[in-house]
Amino acid sequence: MSRDRTKLHCRQVSWLIALLCAISAAATGQNNSPSGTKNAAKPAAANPAENVSAVPTLNELKVTGARRSSYRKRERKPVRTETPKPRLAEFRKGIKPVLKTACIRCHGPKKQEGNIRIDKLDPDLLNGDDVEWWLEIVAVLNNGEMPPADATKLSDRDRTRVIEWLSSEIQVASAVRRAKQGHSSFRRMTRYEYNHSLQDLLGLPYNFAKDLPPEATSEDGFQNSSENLQMSVIRFGAYRELSRKALMNATVRGKQPERIYWNISMKAAAAESLAKQEAQREKIRQKNKDNPEKLKRELQRQAARFRVRHNGPHYKDLSTGATSRVSWSYGGAKYAWKPSKARPKVPAASRHVVVIPARQKLIVELGNLIPDRGTLRVRVRASRVSVDKNKKRIPSLQLEFGWQASNDSAASVRISNRDIVVDAVPEKPKFYQWDVPLSEIYPRNLMRKTAKMGGLPSPSEYVKLVNSSASQGDIQIDHVEVITPIYENWPPDSHTRIFLDSSNKADEAVYAREVLSNFLSRAWRRHATDKEIDQKLKLFAKIRPQCDDFQEAMVEVLATVLSSPKFLYLVPPGRANQSGKSGNGNRLAAWELATRLSVFLWSSTPDDELLNLSAKGRLTDQDVLVSQVKRMLADPRSRRFSRHFVRQWLGMQLLDFLQVDRKAFRQFDPSLKEAMQEEPIAFFHEVLKHNRSVLDFIHADYTMTNERLARHYGLQDVYGNEFRRVKLDATHNRGGLLTQAGLLAMNSDGKDSHPLKRGIWMLESLLNDPPPPPPPAVPEIDLADPKIAKLTLKERIENHRNHAACMSCHAKIDPWGIAFENYDAIGRWRDQVKGKPVDASSLLFNRQKLDGMDGLKRYLLANRQDQFARAMVHKLTTYALGRPLTFGDRSGIDQITADLRKQGDGLATMVTLIVTSELFRSK
Amino acid sequence: MKTHLASLDRRRFLHGSGVALALPLFESFSGFADAAEEPARKSRFACFYLPDGVPMPLAKDPAHKDWSWFPHGNGKKFTFTKCLEPLEPLRSEVTVLSGLSHPSVRSIHGHSNADQFLTGAATGPRGGYRNSISLDQEFAAHVGDQTRFSSLVLSTDGGTGTPRGAHTLSFNRGGRAIPAEHRPKQIFDMLFVKSDGDAARRLALSQSALDDLLADARSLRRTLSGRDQKTLDEYLQSVRDTEIKVEKAKRWMNIPLPKVDVDHLKLDITPEDPKVYLQTMFELIYLAFKTDSTRVATYQLGRENGVGISDYLARAVGFNLTHQLSHNTKNPGGWKNFGVYCRFISEELGRFISKLKTTPEPAGKGNMLDNTLVLFGSASSAFHLSRNYPLILAGGKNMGFKHGQYLNYAGDNPAGGPWNGGREPWQKEITHEDIPLSNLFVTMLQRLGVKTDRFSDSTGTLKAV
Repeated sequence: MSRDRTKLHCRQVSWLIALLCAISAAATGQNNSPSGTKNAAKPAAANPAENVSAVPTLNELKVTGARRSSYRKRERKPVRTETPKPRLAEFRKGIKPVLKTACIRCHGPKKQEGNIRIDKLDPDLLNGDDVEWWLEIVAVLNNGEMPPADATKLSDRDRTRVIEWLSSEIQVASAVRRAKQGHSSFRRMTRYEYNHSLQDLLGLPYNFAKDLPPEATSEDGFQNSSENLQMSVIRFGAYRELSRKALMNATVRGKQPERIYWNISMKAAAAESLAKQEAQREKIRQKNKDNPEKLKRELQRQAARFRVRHNGPHYKDLSTGATSRVSWSYGGAKYAWKPSKARPKVPAASRHVVVIPARQKLIVELGNLIPDRGTLRVRVRASRVSVDKNKKRIPSLQLEFGWQASNDSAASVRISNRDIVVDAVPEKPKFYQWDVPLSEIYPRNLMRKTAKMGGLPSPSEYVKLVNSSASQGDIQIDHVEVITPIYENWPPDSHTRIFLDSSNKADEAVYAREVLSNFLSRAWRRHATDKEIDQKLKLFAKIRPQCDDFQEAMVEVLATVLSSPKFLYLVPPGRANQSGKSGNGNRLAAWELATRLSVFLWSSTPDDELLNLSAKGRLTDQDVLVSQVKRMLADPRSRRFSRHFVRQWLGMQLLDFLQVDRKAFRQFDPSLKEAMQEEPIAFFHEVLKHNRSVLDFIHADYTMTNERLARHYGLQDVYGNEFRRVKLDATHNRGGLLTQAGLLAMNSDGKDSHPLKRGIWMLESLLNDPPPPPPPAVPEIDLADPKIAKLTLKERIENHRNHAACMSCHAKIDPWGIAFENYDAIGRWRDQVKGKPVDASSLLFNRQKLDGMDGLKRYLLANRQDQFARAMVHKLTTYALGRPLTFGDRSGIDQITADLRKQGDGLATMVTLIVTSELFRSK
Repeated sequence: MKTHLASLDRRRFLHGSGVALALPLFESFSGFADAAEEPARKSRFACFYLPDGVPMPLAKDPAHKDWSWFPHGNGKKFTFTKCLEPLEPLRSEVTVLSGLSHPSVRSIHGHSNADQFLTGAATGPRGGYRNSISLDQEFAAHVGDQTRFSSLVLSTDGGTGTPRGAHTLSFNRGGRAIPAEHRPKQIFDMLFVKSDGDAARRLALSQSALDDLLADARSLRRTLSGRDQKTLDEYLQSVRDTEIKVEKAKRWMNIPLPKVDVDHLKLDITPEDPKVYLQTMFELIYLAFKTDSTRVATYQLGRENGVGISDYLARAVGFNLTHQLSHNTKNPGGWKNFGVYCRFISEELGRFISKLKTTPEPAGKGNMLDNTLVLFGSASSAFHLSRNYPLILAGGKNMGFKHGQYLNYAGDNPAGGPWNGGREPWQKEITHEDIPLSNLFVTMLQRLGVKTDRFSDSTGTLKAV
């Protein structure tokens, strides 16, 4: 029963209507959770009425709430290993009598309407055979279809009781079934792991996986789950093709291609632009020389076309202040600059510049000679136009690549990884530079090799300099230099990593062995055996006669290394590798541990250090392992961990596909969405880097933001597009994950907030307390009913909550979501909705009052710390193991949680605890 | 010329010329059919694309009666206008459809959308670009291994064109353009004269590599627990299925190319002589079908927006540039001129359909048309408007297609009229909600024998055809 996160609104509402007793019955987590919700009503801290004089701050609550942790108090948590039992006593006492009264007349010994006899069903859903029937029963009760109107009445109270019992049993039974199946971590790599593995293996920052089919997401939200990483003939074909292509990209042939150079001064650009304008004027004069009226009109029109707009890009002579307009059109490739074979001398800084105001662009057309491979280097000599008083506004530049072949065939894509901060002052312009691998640019102009310059469709291509500053901040540029294709070495490093330098190059058989054993051991993340190398050599010998040279044949063989299951599949339990040394037969061998570790923290293949430690058998030493975790988290590759874990943990695909109503929210531009997508990842990484407490995810007095997002939050004095840590105070109404704009927006419907989605998301992601799956049939909201169609979403929810079958569930979901109501559909703070004050207060099912976001955070910090910590451990361990957790993993999870809580809740601590746990180190 | 292995790199491969036909010999391109499954009946699919839309005079316009492209009437009761009149003798073999379009481009200038006519992808107006597999290639993945060529990809302009300015209707599973061939001589030689000498070598290489991967999988499997072996078995199965595929492709190495009478063909023809050129291209597809060299063909009659050799097609009926006909409809006689060109295209399409109808199915029952599904259409109707695509389905009666009808889903007053400046039809508010064209594509795939219930952005099927 996979939950489709993208189909929302009505479906989810109707789905929610059927939600039943989620909180107490979630079999995988809460039955045994020590953070008893029963304590919830007691705490003074969460009850403002008793504490009017000294309301603790959220930070204080982190401390006081922690004191309530049973994980911290307990010496050793009792380990519960037995599987849950069916609640048969409760059935006999409370459920059976109800069914007997209401159903037996038609579904009993006398009559068996619909072929069902209710007194013969096995009430043991965990072990019995009648689960399907019980599913049917819960559906008809839920729908109000049974009992029929002319039969015995069923009171709302009894109906609710039966539904609750059944739903809870169904939930537990399904978990038990999963547990019995068990799960293995043996799986193929995900798309992104495949990509990063090739990047690290070949030493190239390319995207190798873009042609792989996308990945499904498992029930627990993770893409790396062994459950759903399947192989198909199409995927296998894609791997073979991509492997070969990756190797072709990493290796080269022949002589180094010669570089070509573009040297473009803005003085020349301005002069040429003026000349083109003059030529046009001359044409107008010629054409209209007999019609002075028309001549005047046409000249005026032409002048208007070329009048400088100072909020658009324009040329400027800084000495005289004279300006002229930048013009460009694709037709005839008239604006293309010609390259030269030798690098011209770069002239001294000139007073003739182009000024690019914020969010404006300058096209620099380069023609059809840009090659397919190698690096494209773009250098610009630039500075700020002026320096503002407090010197904080520093503009930035992005680089795009594009082309226009005809009227309606054009493309332009950003090719710079990060914005360049133009910090140079006007008096001292500096060169700024981008290096872009050409093979990564897509789409290119496919006419560039077949059409002539000047013809149509135009084969010409350009780079575009974009002033990406979020606020005002003009940039001036006097010189642009483009050099391509650049190879730092020839052959490049990626080539010599594969085709090693060797004195045996002349002896093909010997050299083949050298190349293969080197490559195999890195690609397969362990020492390749002689037998394995021999097998590949045999393939080499077989195909060598069919190939022109050594390299051609070897690339073919290496492509099989990268399409082999020994590369594509991760952490095989390795029965054959098991050495007698290890006392514990269930433990991973060092190689396998290295792979599990590098896939966890780098989403990639182990590096040389990990492989060397594995070879020496040292990685399995506890101390070595701990220090390796530290090293790996400090490595830039750990950004991948933050990115991939956070996106999956929080279900951030929702944000990727979010459609915001642009009429209602004009300010929702691509740069805001981009910043929203980045914030949770940057925030997580910051917590990780400084080993901050995981409670920061519930609330923190800082966040990570850039200028665009800061403006959205109403934070002052944040300038520039890079993310940095910014201090928050209570007036900002932000802090932690719950208030991050992207997460709020993705749990809205693009027009308005969506309390249900937000409530469910919080229960699922942060408390690991997902509502049970919906019964097979749920009452739909009748949108055809004009009365209902008129209601607001919140009113619709309330309307349906009043149905007996729906009430119990809604009481447990809605209050969480209503606490978010002060945040609108794009996560902005609001005090009013449609002129009415926001009502964000709600009552939890245990009569606990939540007063808006602050109240929600208070409640979580005061009463739910243990639950949250355990949930995080659960999620992170699921991700680390790449498989769903089972009942059998419960004790391990509890142990990690207890250690975490005792050691101060640090996120890096949690990672280390997981890596050194038996769970991680066992098969 | 010997092709080096290096040329197997797809990037370079695609930039080569004349390679469109070599697809089945290089298995990673052609997708995969379920090897065990041999459809009992031969089904073929051909698609023809007309750029730049069709005449859409408004009902009040005097030209509406004769030169509106869409027929008048509905269901079985309809009359062709002069645009489609040449199809009247084939009335019981064709269905005209209106009111269908691809949702993802309905607000995008029509000239950008030939790229996704057969894919339905959200290719966008500018910026980044992603496409997806085209209908013909989805079908080719199903039947491609039963013929020497998995598909025949043709266009008048040749190559791939540019994103949003495609010169091909066909896109592979990764959404990359498959270059189209435009030179009749090359097409003919590929089909009937020259065997690809390098193909045998590439297949042998593939086979060696697959054997080796099988050995890798088996040695890994021995180290796994029973449950993990099951996981790996998916991999083993994939290798085996690929091997079967290679075996099938190898078969063709030993089967001689079919012999075809060439006397009636002018293979050195170019679009400078548009009428004969078009007839030659249609004839080559007919011959490829007749010899069972392939069962899938696409032919883009011209690129969108003129600026290419295909813009000369209108010279066949005495006009200068084809694309301009669609812009000059506000001039006196403008609708008629545009319509005369469309009528010419209808004649050539009709000739192709008739030929299939009068040719007995080789080694089968009935005629070829009943086993060939033909789709003809354009990604715009009224001026640059990507809605209400003009569409014709023909043939395929043995697959269950019913004809002799005009399925008018566009309503009574579809957008149209000449453009007199101001906002163009595609920039205006949406007044009529079209049916997703992919729904029709799902039904087409199903009747062609592909087991699927979705294609691209489909929301269902369209069973009325």
